[in-house]
Amino acid sequence: MNLTTALARLLIFPGLLFAVPFAWFFLWVERKSVALMQGRIGPPFMQPFFDFIKLLGKTTPPRRGVSGLLMKTWPLLAVSTAGGAVGLLPVLPSSGGFEGDLILLLALLEVPSMCIIAAGFSSRSIFGEIGSAREAVLSVSYNVVFLLAIVSIAASQHTFRLEALAHLPASPMLILAVVAILVCLPAKLHINPFSLPNAEQEIYSGPITEYAGPELAMWELSHGLEWVAATGLVATLIAPHFTAVWLAVLAFVVLSFGVVLLLSVTAAATARLQIDTTVRFYWQCTLIFAVLAISSALFMRFRS
Amino acid sequence: MSYKIPMGPYHPALEEPYKLDLICEGETVRDAKLHIGFNFRGIEHLAETRNYIQVIALMERVCGICSNIHTLTLCQSMEQLTGLTPPPRALYIRVVVAELERLHSHVLWAGIAAKLMGFKTMFMTCFELREKVMDVLQAISGNRVNYSMNRIGGVNRDIDDPLAVLAMVQALEREMVRTVIPIFTTSSTARSRCAGIGILTREKALSCGVVGPTARASGLPQDLRRDAPYAAYSEMEFNVPVQPDGDVRARLLVRALEIMESCKILRQALTKMPPGEINTGDAKIVFAAGTATSRVEAPRGEVMYSVSWKQDAKNPSRVHVRTPTFANMPSVRWMVLGARLADTPLIQASIDPCYSCTDR
Repeated sequence: MNLTTALARLLIFPGLLFAVPFAWFFLWVERKSVALMQGRIGPPFMQPFFDFIKLLGKTTPPRRGVSGLLMKTWPLLAVSTAGGAVGLLPVLPSSGGFEGDLILLLALLEVPSMCIIAAGFSSRSIFGEIGSAREAVLSVSYNVVFLLAIVSIAASQHTFRLEALAHLPASPMLILAVVAILVCLPAKLHINPFSLPNAEQEIYSGPITEYAGPELAMWELSHGLEWVAATGLVATLIAPHFTAVWLAVLAFVVLSFGVVLLLSVTAAATARLQIDTTVRFYWQCTLIFAVLAISSALFMRFRS
Repeated sequence: MSYKIPMGPYHPALEEPYKLDLICEGETVRDAKLHIGFNFRGIEHLAETRNYIQVIALMERVCGICSNIHTLTLCQSMEQLTGLTPPPRALYIRVVVAELERLHSHVLWAGIAAKLMGFKTMFMTCFELREKVMDVLQAISGNRVNYSMNRIGGVNRDIDDPLAVLAMVQALEREMVRTVIPIFTTSSTARSRCAGIGILTREKALSCGVVGPTARASGLPQDLRRDAPYAAYSEMEFNVPVQPDGDVRARLLVRALEIMESCKILRQALTKMPPGEINTGDAKIVFAAGTATSRVEAPRGEVMYSVSWKQDAKNPSRVHVRTPTFANMPSVRWMVLGARLADTPLIQASIDPCYSCTDR
């Protein structure tokens, strides 16, 4: 992948130019679908965009005892890493990529969550600190399953190249891994039943309680980009291999949209779990997934 | 390291302003302090400046959820001072409105509890159902919140066609059985979030003097509708649900069973409603000097009114209100001790607090 291709992927498709409107679109889909399931009308189509513009126009009040630079850095870092993660997704049929880009993608996907943890502690709000502590515990719990799922597919193909994984034919291992990733996504995106870090009835907005104006706008955008990156990752893993560019893009969009709807239904149909129940759930998932992955690997080894 | 988390006076988990200072160690609550008085409106003092017609309209505005109960208790107290006895039909109508109000209050509480569990879909379902209960109340009284039904010596409006209201109540009951009751009783989410938390033992409940569903969920079989019947409750057949566990789930179950009992009472009251007058007429009312008290089982527990009148006075000399939340709120401190921070919104809500009534 040369510099031009890399820049085109990062800035145009599937990077910022594509990802930012889609982030707002997915945020709208999530809010609208949940509203419809709850018998409400829900927001108009352009609402996430209007929210973003409105927040950009506001002035953040001065905060005593808090480093303004740090407060500005975390959301910007979260937006850029989430945008970078979307840029790495192998959406196009011959998107290039490089050996090890999967590891970079996993790292980039993790940075927004670390930024949120740091942001909560930087804000010196008691609600922010509790939210950050919850996010840290949650992150440690679901990431084991999440990483195990992705690494097991990569290990089965002996490559850490995303493009190779995107072209995998359907296999029990792939289905198992996709299910495991789907189980982790509600926690990664802070939606029910794992919306613990931003449980508004308990700790307001958690880590981002003290954020307002353009900084909050950036958090909203990074959240939207995380939606695109996370659902896009699932979409690239399950999408069939198309040679036509428009078909590949269409499949990516439709499948991502389907995953967003699935997650929205899950969020609307569940209550928030407690932190210990959540941790127990993910460690049980880890155990089950580990046993299934090892059995599957042994089975394939004996069969070959 | 322990730290203090202020919950309120303005907080997404609270319907009304009050403050709970939680002393936590990690996610565990070690102590709690309750502060009230953010909603004080001086209604008891205002009542001393109103005549016997105006005071009913004023006391109806003590609370937006149990508005009827306040006027009912006040009117019962004033009836003792005037010696007026409401006709039997009026007593039946009072029962119907009081039970519909109980349904409305319990369903609203179910919605709030669901929201505090982070289950907003269920919150919307419950509130949709609450709207239907309010439709029935509107069909009877013409109002959705302050029904203006009670007056000294009876009620203001008749239920012209009790069987039509009965059909609405039966439709409501079917929907309750289909949606709200399963959430309360069999839902695994409710069980996982509510079982074993916010425990108030029978002994503690007795020493705190709690009332209503909070007391019944701690194994105290008390209900004024049965123990000291008023209106037409002595002619109704119903059970008083009691649960021994004392946790939030027990309070859920008690309210769920009470919804079913309320429907049962409504069915009986609407079918057996006697014909006749609905009040004692518009003649001038003369009050005897003295103090009269009346107690009523509100959705949240016992409400007591004490009304004092001086000889030949136009206005009451004292109207004292004791609300169920006033009796129940000290128990919150004992319920949250040792609880997880995530459970405290639900625990404090499990007594169904109404600070509008308490602060007045």
